[in-house]
Amino acid sequence: MKAGALVKSLWTTDPQRVARQYLWGGFLFLLIGGLLAMLIRFQWAWPGQPVPGLAWVLPESKGALTPPTYTAVFTMHGLLMIFFAVTPLLFGALGHFVLPLAIGSKQMAFPRLSPFGFWAYAVGGALMLVSFVVRLGPASAGWTSYPPLATPAFTPGLGQTLVTVAVLFVGASAFLYGLNFVVTVVRCRAPGMTWGRMPLVVWGLFYGAVLNVLFVPVLAAATVLLLLDRVAGTQFFIAGAAAVGGGGDPVVYQHLFWLFGHPEVYILILPAWGMVGDFVAFFSRKPAHGYRLTAGAMGVVTALSGAVYAHHLFTSGMAPVLGRTFMVLTLLISLPAEVMFLNWLMTLWRGSVRLTSPMLAALATMVVFGLGGITGLALGAVATDVPLHGTMWVVGHFHLTMGAASFLAVFAGLYFWFPRMYGRALDERLAKVHVLLSAVLFIAVFGGQLVAGYAGQLRRLYDPYQYTFLEHLLPLNRWTSWAAFALGAAQLVFVVNLVRTLGWGRAAEPNPWRVGTLEWTDAAPGAVVLRGPHALSQPEVQEQLGRDWIGQAEPLSPGVPVAEPVAPPVPGVEGAV
Amino acid sequence: MAESPALSPSSVSDVAPPDAQAPLAVPPARGAWSLAPPENASATGDRIDALLATSHSFDLALAAVMLGWLLLAVARFRNARKVAPDGGTRRSRAWVLGLAVCAFGVVDGTLFLGSQGYLDDVLWNFRVPMEDPRTVRIQLNAHQWSWEARYAGADGAFGTKDDVVTWNDLRVPAGVPVWVQLVSTDVVHGFTLPAFRVKLDAIPGRVNQTWFQAAREGAWEVACYQHCGTSHYRMRGMLTALSPEAYAAWLREASLKAVQAYDPDDTAAHWGWVWRTP
Repeated sequence: MKAGALVKSLWTTDPQRVARQYLWGGFLFLLIGGLLAMLIRFQWAWPGQPVPGLAWVLPESKGALTPPTYTAVFTMHGLLMIFFAVTPLLFGALGHFVLPLAIGSKQMAFPRLSPFGFWAYAVGGALMLVSFVVRLGPASAGWTSYPPLATPAFTPGLGQTLVTVAVLFVGASAFLYGLNFVVTVVRCRAPGMTWGRMPLVVWGLFYGAVLNVLFVPVLAAATVLLLLDRVAGTQFFIAGAAAVGGGGDPVVYQHLFWLFGHPEVYILILPAWGMVGDFVAFFSRKPAHGYRLTAGAMGVVTALSGAVYAHHLFTSGMAPVLGRTFMVLTLLISLPAEVMFLNWLMTLWRGSVRLTSPMLAALATMVVFGLGGITGLALGAVATDVPLHGTMWVVGHFHLTMGAASFLAVFAGLYFWFPRMYGRALDERLAKVHVLLSAVLFIAVFGGQLVAGYAGQLRRLYDPYQYTFLEHLLPLNRWTSWAAFALGAAQLVFVVNLVRTLGWGRAAEPNPWRVGTLEWTDAAPGAVVLRGPHALSQPEVQEQLGRDWIGQAEPLSPGVPVAEPVAPPVPGVEGAV
Repeated sequence: MAESPALSPSSVSDVAPPDAQAPLAVPPARGAWSLAPPENASATGDRIDALLATSHSFDLALAAVMLGWLLLAVARFRNARKVAPDGGTRRSRAWVLGLAVCAFGVVDGTLFLGSQGYLDDVLWNFRVPMEDPRTVRIQLNAHQWSWEARYAGADGAFGTKDDVVTWNDLRVPAGVPVWVQLVSTDVVHGFTLPAFRVKLDAIPGRVNQTWFQAAREGAWEVACYQHCGTSHYRMRGMLTALSPEAYAAWLREASLKAVQAYDPDDTAAHWGWVWRTP
């Protein structure tokens, strides 16, 4: 391949190809982040003992994690998963793929921003990887990088600085695609694609993109100031305490960080909610229950998401009036979430449920998200937050929502859109096995963490059993670790499926799931969108076309005789009508 | 290392509590699967535990409804031949809204009111330690990686010669409010007494405060809950609740020793502040 062609293929303005670039990038970092998670789980099960097969990386300790290595491992796990795996998979990959197609636009509003975004992400990712091999290792101040710990006085070394720069790069990427998505949805919808006819996944991506545009700059601001504290000798976040003697305030960083950090967890879940909303409708073969309520509820959550963040700081000694205010706002956000959830359940009711792989993944997303949401209630009220704050309960709670739920939603989307992305059909059986195993094991792993947290186990402890009051949790943590290893191993089912399909998979049908959204029905240029995204099982459509679905832009002329008598079945489902 | 008690002469005492770095002889009272919070040694911890238990039963009920509804819907409508081809009726949407508001009212309302009560009466009610003449005041300085505690000594004032300073070794009288003011010398730490449901950030540049009351005599662990560097996991101390008499005797003696050992040139040891009232 000539250099020019190579550059052209790497610097692409085609959102479909950008999506695939993000997909592979996201998978790479998902793998690395996942392996780091396995190390953490090993440490909690066999503290300080050599990890089998790790002696070549850590020769001095014969493969055992040392306390500094351990802090680097959990820091990099969090940063890689959030910024380099889950967000890029949801927005970079599935977002770039589906958003323009689903609103009837072949292109993004700013096509040339897409490669800038991807390459900012790639540079950031490269910096993350490089940080593993510099002296003193990668970042180790926690994914939150709280100063003063994250300043050179306490975390010296190039690694922490490289990672800080990497976060700026990936933030630039998130801001760019956020901006691009927002403008694309506002300006590039096909004629007739009103706001009320957008698939829910477009709503989810849109809201998430709005949050990216609003709050990623806040993270960038805090990170730039932190970077200056690291490299330029400023003291924005170094307070006038004895050891350091600055004039800044570390709490300002905490506020800035969580002003971004809490919307970020909604950024990670909004596209997932959108997919669940669409998929339960598609595979119940009926319109989504209360579409406007659901879209509205997602909007209310989006609006509230920036106004709840200080529940992360309930124990920071904040003024009681702030604590009470943020408690009310935080609890308030559960109301729209409940409306949305009940609408999903009501969509299943009186439908014709088809347990395809995307549907199974969507239902699994619902369950793990539901469990994660429920276990977050106690963290929203100050009194009950105090005993749980900083414990594994918090870890289990947020891993169920932004870990398990986002992960399962990524796979729901991937199993759903893969035929359109790669023109080949994944093996349904393997996909279902993968989804079910992952869901059950996710609940086992993060459920185990919830139990440990309720018993008081604090987060980020190299050896929790240093504390007498946690000693009895060793067996529980061992079992949880076994479940985590099984969860890691279960991903091989997906890898096998992916490799087999890309290598030898059968060609996919043009609309394998028999749904009407534009990414499947490809309206002709200039076609006018006529109906909402879930026009399924409509009697007049069944009468005229003999099938239970109709394209969003497919005209239905009155009085035309039936074309085919029987609707083709949804594949992979026995007994489908 | 800060863990060595030799740094502080006044921590030596006759009524020595269990060594802060040695495990307790008490076997853990509960199994790993019991879903129980740590042992409660606080006079006010029952309230928080009861609220947590309530929230727990809400969790279980909500999870059961969610899973039950989902499984029932899938089982009942799997490949059903008839489909309701609508996005719900006015009535069904009203039901959704009504159910959501009810669940929200009951669950969030209970948590909110319970929490408010606890905040008003305990967590943010500093009138209790302020108005109780027996209240013990402790200034706590968090370091990488130890807890340095300062008691006012016999003269009742902080920052004087007779201040008693201990490392990883908090002593309090049982049944008496203990008022803690907390700072950090280096990074952000998290001061927690798991058995007392106490958590508070130690942040450089500011004085945070909280209070608690031991329900009985005994020894419990002090832990750090904020990642504060490589040895975060070893930032462990002990809190010993003594009888008020034993506590007074210890403080008197330690205060006398502190005066003898006072070194005006040891500037690092002079970190106390004038007690702050909220």
